[in-house]
Amino acid sequence: MSREERKPLNPMLIYLLRRMCFLLATFFVFMIIIFSLPRMIPGNPLAILLRDILNRMTLQPETIKEIERKLFEQYGLDKPVYIQFVDFVSRIFKGDLGISFYFRIPVAEVIFSRIPWTLMLLVPSTIVSWIIGNFLGAIAAYKRGKATDNILMSIFLTLSQVPYYWLAMILLFIFAVRYEIFPLGGTWDTSRFITPSLTLEFITDYLAHYILPFASIVLSAIGGWAIGMRVMAIYELGSDYVVYSDSLGLKDSKILEYVFRNSILPQITGLALNFGSVVGGQLLTELVFNYRGMGRILYDSINKLDYPLIEGIFIILISTLLIANLIVDFIYAYLDPRVRTGYAEA
Amino acid sequence: MFKIKKFTFSISVLVVVILVALVGPPLYPKLNLSLYAGTPDTPPSNEFPLGTDRNGRDILSHLLIGIRTSLYVGVIATIIALTIGILVGSFAGFKGGVIDEILMMITNIIYTLPAILLMILIASYLKERSPLFVSIVIGVTSWPWLARAVRAQIMSLKEREFVQMSKMSGLKGYEIIFKDLLPNMASYIFMSVALLLSISMLAEAGLSMIGAGIDPSTESSLGVMLQRAQQGEAIRLGRWWCFVPPGIVLVLITTSLLMLSTSIDEYFNPRLRGGK
Amino acid sequence: MSLLKAEGLRAYYNSPIGQVKAVEDISLSVEEDDFIGIAGESGCGKSTLANVLMMNIRPPLKLYGGRLFLNGEEISDKSRDYVKEKFWGTVISIVPQAALNSLMPTKRTKEFIIDVVQAHKKISEKEIIEMAKNKFIELGLSPSVLDLYPHELSGGMRQRVIIVASTILNPKVLIADEPTSALDVSTQKQVLKMMLDLQRKQSIRSTILITHDIAIQRQVCNKLIVMYAGRIVEYGNVDDVLYNPKHPYTKGLINSVLTPEPEVRRRGLMALFIPGEPPNLVNPPPGCSFHPRCPFAMPRCKSETPGLTYSGDRAVACWLYIL
Repeated sequence: MSREERKPLNPMLIYLLRRMCFLLATFFVFMIIIFSLPRMIPGNPLAILLRDILNRMTLQPETIKEIERKLFEQYGLDKPVYIQFVDFVSRIFKGDLGISFYFRIPVAEVIFSRIPWTLMLLVPSTIVSWIIGNFLGAIAAYKRGKATDNILMSIFLTLSQVPYYWLAMILLFIFAVRYEIFPLGGTWDTSRFITPSLTLEFITDYLAHYILPFASIVLSAIGGWAIGMRVMAIYELGSDYVVYSDSLGLKDSKILEYVFRNSILPQITGLALNFGSVVGGQLLTELVFNYRGMGRILYDSINKLDYPLIEGIFIILISTLLIANLIVDFIYAYLDPRVRTGYAEA
Repeated sequence: MFKIKKFTFSISVLVVVILVALVGPPLYPKLNLSLYAGTPDTPPSNEFPLGTDRNGRDILSHLLIGIRTSLYVGVIATIIALTIGILVGSFAGFKGGVIDEILMMITNIIYTLPAILLMILIASYLKERSPLFVSIVIGVTSWPWLARAVRAQIMSLKEREFVQMSKMSGLKGYEIIFKDLLPNMASYIFMSVALLLSISMLAEAGLSMIGAGIDPSTESSLGVMLQRAQQGEAIRLGRWWCFVPPGIVLVLITTSLLMLSTSIDEYFNPRLRGGK
Repeated sequence: MSLLKAEGLRAYYNSPIGQVKAVEDISLSVEEDDFIGIAGESGCGKSTLANVLMMNIRPPLKLYGGRLFLNGEEISDKSRDYVKEKFWGTVISIVPQAALNSLMPTKRTKEFIIDVVQAHKKISEKEIIEMAKNKFIELGLSPSVLDLYPHELSGGMRQRVIIVASTILNPKVLIADEPTSALDVSTQKQVLKMMLDLQRKQSIRSTILITHDIAIQRQVCNKLIVMYAGRIVEYGNVDDVLYNPKHPYTKGLINSVLTPEPEVRRRGLMALFIPGEPPNLVNPPPGCSFHPRCPFAMPRCKSETPGLTYSGDRAVACWLYIL
């Protein structure tokens, strides 16, 4: 009896374990990449870093020596490569992401002061665009071949190709410059509020600054979801089970429910797959709006060659991506009974 | 029928764009790529049909050159990604077994790491920001999805009779791949080329915007022009001629490419046309 | 009153290369307790006929003529939606070809059956599950199947589940389109037994079994219809037709089946297979569509199409039997 009980659980666990191992391997490869990149710059990486720092500030000779020594330590260049790598990884796992060259404070601090704002923009916009996009895609699939479908598809096609940041520029121009409805960017009115607070006035002000970036991201993302959903739904609509259910007298609404259920599953994994481009697009949008998220510091860090900060940002981004992948895998495994019983391939 | 209109529309747009890119710069009489070609921040006028930017650049001149550069990056990156993707995908799919497992492991890892983010990361360490180097970075990070798709197709095709016959007549692996399998995937490869071009051009623009792309002090591309507009506060100062033209051109090109790709797909997959 | 009655049905596919005449002048009637077999090569229009008999007609298929009566009511002049709501699943049901993927993959058997029943009747889920359980047991299936998903079932199991789903509302006519083609011999027997049981217990009142496998039809059917190129070429009681075939095509069909009875083999006058290719339904041969492959073809066969001539319970469409 206990053997029977154990059976349904195992395939799902195995699937999840496989995925976890894969994601860990990916993370490991990524760590190698992050680790190797600064060391692949031709010439003594330290000399170049030093030169960059010196270009920005004039320092006393003792300070230069001090910096040199600190950099040496930080990069552990006196030890063999694999020990450097191990140190690097353990440092990361302890949460020490180094010190920003430019800001002169720990990278972790810089990033974590910006992340909440990015998330506030990222999560709602992703959810909203996902819901609306999938819904519209299903409608287009249901009316495939007819006028509604063609019009919707043209819109989706174009929208999905418009870069997030360009749409941001257009929206900002129209709604903040030409017609002064919304503020010219930024996250909150710095002349009125020095720090964020939970007062009603602040929240309204923040929302006013929030709407344009939010709309920009949602509009840019809808097209992609809709196109994907439409393809899946059209495929499902031609399936044997649709034909058979119809022949047994099941109503159209019920059959659509079936189709939707089966088409939505890949769209969930799509959330994790598209994470990279969504985040990339959002960061650039934040740049255009001068929104106080990760976008601006990414730009600055690249501009100023602040390598610890660049690396820190990417470590955070990729780690979040991999965790998001894992969460999506859980959800998918729960929803698709074929995975639960070991049928589907990972 | 709508789909034929889509196809002709997209092809014509692309042909026009390519022509402009090739003959535009030489034909445009007032081509001037230097700084302070005119008074900075002037709106479109007879002298400068698309106005000038903050540093006095003639927008139209830079747009013409920019199209060329962006297309160049797109083409080079596509060639690189196409080559790697097809090679990896067909060898993994054809050989199967351990080779397949290893290649797919590598592919999946790179696939999971988002291309844009990888690109930005790698590019920010580059000393030289020439279009060629940027193309290489884009190409080298954009191939995994293609490899997977190619592998899937190869795996389903290789069981077919004509392949078995070639096998039995002693043709070697790569001969079979190139003579039998790939020609059967011609339509899919065309689609992929269109998609890759579009992705690469958008990637270049994104990279340039974040400052990890082409060096704006030496070259102009569509993305670079957008970056200049952003850095020069062109949007906030209402100088639409700095960012609208390059954006429109970019959207036009990439939308036409996607339309082209979809219409090829619909032609070969009648189910997507609808009306079943 | 016939349960199902067809008069001169014509249904063609409109394709870019021309009109595919898949159902040409089909007349038949199905009475209570009938177990009619429709035999013929692949591509002769059998599956199209199966759908037409339900009025499940969608572009590019179109009804071009004839009348169809179900339970006495004419349905050939009604809309698809009307027929679907009033008759499908409750009066007439189909067990589709390639049924292995016909079950909704992400629903358990019981959930799907609940959906099927609730599409027509307001019965609570509990009652439906009870009903389904009893039905399963009655037909020799384990009720535990109800809790499983389609991919957890074998091919034969899925086929039988589909038969239950199609008959749970006790339709008068069941159309089974190649229900056994993808199954091994022992599973075939189980499926056939199930269909016979259903009819014996009067859960369904008549069955139309469409298959190219004549051996099966000989075992279970009481009447046999032979189709060729979209037309009926022979019809009658199954033993009559199989032991005394009249149409040359029927003779060839029987001879190409390996049967143990030397009697049938002895009577065969043709080679063990029918030479030539199945006809092109866009441009069928003029006159009798079978004449290019018929060893008894006469000049008349090439220009005039023979109609069905009846003698008692038998009908043949062949100039050999018409004066």
